[in-house]
Amino acid sequence: MSEPSQHAAEDSGPGRRSVLKAGGVSAAAVMMPLAPGGAAHAAPGPSAAPRAAADIALRVNGETHRVAVEARVTLLDALRERLRLTGTKKGCDRGECGACTVLVDGRRVKSCLTLAVMQEDREITTVEGVARGERLHPVQEAFVARDAFQCGFCTPGQIMSAVACVEEGHTGSRDEIREWMSGNLCRCGCYPNIVDAVRDAAREVRR
Amino acid sequence: MSKVVGKPLRRVDARAKVTGAAQYAADARVPGAAHGFLVMSTVARGRISRIDVRAAEAAPGVLAVLTHRTMPRLRTPPGEVPYFKSFVPLQDDRIHHAGQPVALVVAGTLEQAQEAATLVEVRYDSERPRAALLDALDEAYVPPDSHDEPSEYTRGDVAAGREQAEVTVDVTYTTVTQHHNPMEPSVTLAVWDGADLTVHESAQGIGFTRSTLAEALDVPPRNVRVLSPYLGGGFGGKGPVWPHTLLTAAAAREVGRPVKLVLSRAHTYSSTGHRAETHQRLALGARRDGRLTFAEHTTTEQVSRTEQSLHAANKATRLLYGIPNLRTVQRAVRLDLPTGSFMRSPEATTSHVLECALDELSCELGVDPVELRLRNDTRVDLVTGEPFGSRYLAECFRRGAELFGWDRRDPEPRSMRDEDGLVGWGVAAAAHTGGGFPGGAARVTLSEDGTALVQSGTQDIGTGTYTVMTQVSADGLGVPTDAVRFELGDTRFPGAPLSAGSATVPCTVPGVFAACATARDTVVGMAVRDPESPLHGRDPGRITVRDGRLFVTGDPGRYDTYRAVVRRHGEPVVVNSPPQDSFSGYSTGAVFAEVCVHPRLGTVRVRRVTGVFDPGTVLNHRTARSQAIGGAIWNIGFTLTEHTLIDAHAGRVVNPNLSGYLVPVNADVPRVEVEFIDKPDPTSPALNARGFGETPSTGVTAALANAVYHATGRRIRELPLTPDKLL
Repeated sequence: MSEPSQHAAEDSGPGRRSVLKAGGVSAAAVMMPLAPGGAAHAAPGPSAAPRAAADIALRVNGETHRVAVEARVTLLDALRERLRLTGTKKGCDRGECGACTVLVDGRRVKSCLTLAVMQEDREITTVEGVARGERLHPVQEAFVARDAFQCGFCTPGQIMSAVACVEEGHTGSRDEIREWMSGNLCRCGCYPNIVDAVRDAAREVRR
Repeated sequence: MSKVVGKPLRRVDARAKVTGAAQYAADARVPGAAHGFLVMSTVARGRISRIDVRAAEAAPGVLAVLTHRTMPRLRTPPGEVPYFKSFVPLQDDRIHHAGQPVALVVAGTLEQAQEAATLVEVRYDSERPRAALLDALDEAYVPPDSHDEPSEYTRGDVAAGREQAEVTVDVTYTTVTQHHNPMEPSVTLAVWDGADLTVHESAQGIGFTRSTLAEALDVPPRNVRVLSPYLGGGFGGKGPVWPHTLLTAAAAREVGRPVKLVLSRAHTYSSTGHRAETHQRLALGARRDGRLTFAEHTTTEQVSRTEQSLHAANKATRLLYGIPNLRTVQRAVRLDLPTGSFMRSPEATTSHVLECALDELSCELGVDPVELRLRNDTRVDLVTGEPFGSRYLAECFRRGAELFGWDRRDPEPRSMRDEDGLVGWGVAAAAHTGGGFPGGAARVTLSEDGTALVQSGTQDIGTGTYTVMTQVSADGLGVPTDAVRFELGDTRFPGAPLSAGSATVPCTVPGVFAACATARDTVVGMAVRDPESPLHGRDPGRITVRDGRLFVTGDPGRYDTYRAVVRRHGEPVVVNSPPQDSFSGYSTGAVFAEVCVHPRLGTVRVRRVTGVFDPGTVLNHRTARSQAIGGAIWNIGFTLTEHTLIDAHAGRVVNPNLSGYLVPVNADVPRVEVEFIDKPDPTSPALNARGFGETPSTGVTAALANAVYHATGRRIRELPLTPDKLL
């Protein structure tokens, strides 16, 4: 076992992300273990090329933000690191935990699995854009009343999923809510309270 | 006197958390912050033979690529101290485990840092690692006592106890490596300003983080400030101070810019500890009537090459029942793996085995498992010989049995089927240490507007510290909760210990309450001495303070107010509490579970869980209930799905992610019913409450495993209970 070499790779194998996140560093990292002989001396490939930043306009929570981003920048990192909208959280960066869930044209999207440059002309809603001024959205109200969080880190994603879950009408029963809220992990273990909150919010919205 | 404590107050930080306004460590706004990214060893044992950073350094935006050759030397405290790991990487060429940092890249953007990290070329002289506990049991040894835990403990006469036993079970169980996986991966954002260092850190112990940083970087502790106002879960993984924190702060000093390092999810599997794999043998004997005569429990746990502290304490075996003759031994096996640590309810690992073995014994004896536990209840801590402060374990079992409908259980395995499969009911005791470390302190500042700012350098890891301390402060001062702002997570506040070991309440409540009570007395004293006060000349011992008003007891019409007293005083009133003493406590409960096992697929569904707990006085029923529900859910993962798979040949984690490491999702989780006995522990200095956070994430593992046995007639002694084992 002498002299193994490495290209440091964040991921140990192909993941769901590799399918969706073509181009840029992540795809390269994911491919590495598949390369014969450990790709230590592989050509630098696309990473050596200078990367042009694209000037794009992102419409987030009703406001238009002009931002220069490289094509490889995810929507999540654009929101957090460029637009300083840090309510949206990064839990895994590969679409497994749901902490980064935002709404794009009303649909739930894991913002770590999509690139910012793909989101021009879309209406993006983050947790910062859910309340109407001082008035919390019924989903937010219900999360507070039902104690549907503890540490609060998954909460922005849970709330975005819950807003969509209510809009989609997937709130007919506790089981239906459990199923449609299962893309968002909560490690503190607030699931029953989250289900209660989503039920309450659905009733409130329909009133 | 108590008016708000005990009420189910909504979380005071709720609005911040549901609007995205709560700023976690990675959210801190620091202009000009560069991004760090680690390069990890792909081998588990050996040395770095060559490391080439030229391509990485030449990549766009890169500020530094620090390796063991270029990283400044960091000091480590001599010997092993709890909550700090003595091994720091990037100090020499040795590799102690896979996933050990071999380089730290700093670049202008996150993407640039991640890209450059892929360009670092490392070659190793690697040796074959040893990574499987069960292949190395012959190397087990008894290490020195760790923390307050004896590695070996004996009471009574175990041989005589064996003689007296009419029925004995002697069983071997195993548990697997598991990872904390808080939703927020660990974060360090280090900002130097001359000789001063500010670190935004996801830390369960800001005080330890500060002292360790000061030691490692050779700066006076007063120059180091650690901030952790919000924590995205920790579960023990953010308790110790881990190397990435020190490396990031050193790198920031090196590049002359703030540096933010967020561990990738994969990196957390080798950077912030884990629940170590164990092999446990437990012999347990009883007379025919169910009275236990002896137990002998030997736990063998993985430790690393660089540390040997153990965390799977055999506490339940020593404390939970009146076992007269007992021996517990904790052994260690060094493997080429990362260092393990405490993980939510470290005592669950061994209590699982105790509570499963008791179920086996109950079957052998033909005694109901609830009845068996009641017959062996004890009011005395047999380690110290002192009575427990208060203990309502029997009440928990009786109430739980009633809520669950336990009397409808047919004890025969495989007897309770329905259309979905084999139904099983199981029971176990929950138990965990619930005492406090010494040193908790707080400060109160009463302002001229009549509000109070209460500060303590504690943490809120999601448990509700902000909310509960607001309640405690309001009662201590005699003001409504909206007149109190409680702040934490800043080393500039009076110090408080680590938020781990269920210790936040017992550590912090006494200091907060003492500071507030002293502030109240101070203001009462100012009022009665002040000729302008309506209370001038009154006996301060007869003054009641309620809703911010001070009045002679029984005469609320004639009053002064905090606001008026402090205004006349002309400046805010500031009171510090002295650091408080430690406290030892043990919080118990009873948990009941129903499972349904598919007869052909071997899948286990959890249908319901009922838990009744005795935490002393309940300070906030809303947050306590949520924590108890969370504990049950945590244990569903522990029992059924969570397993960090380690390649025995390579020593590498195979599933360092959340798609291969399965934590429960919403659809896995049934309703969880929770009740509290809610009777005061008169010995507790924390308003008669004990630490409680970890108790509900014990017991459920065994209740589920015992339910699976009841459903199937199969006793699976290896966690997790995956379908392959039940087919």
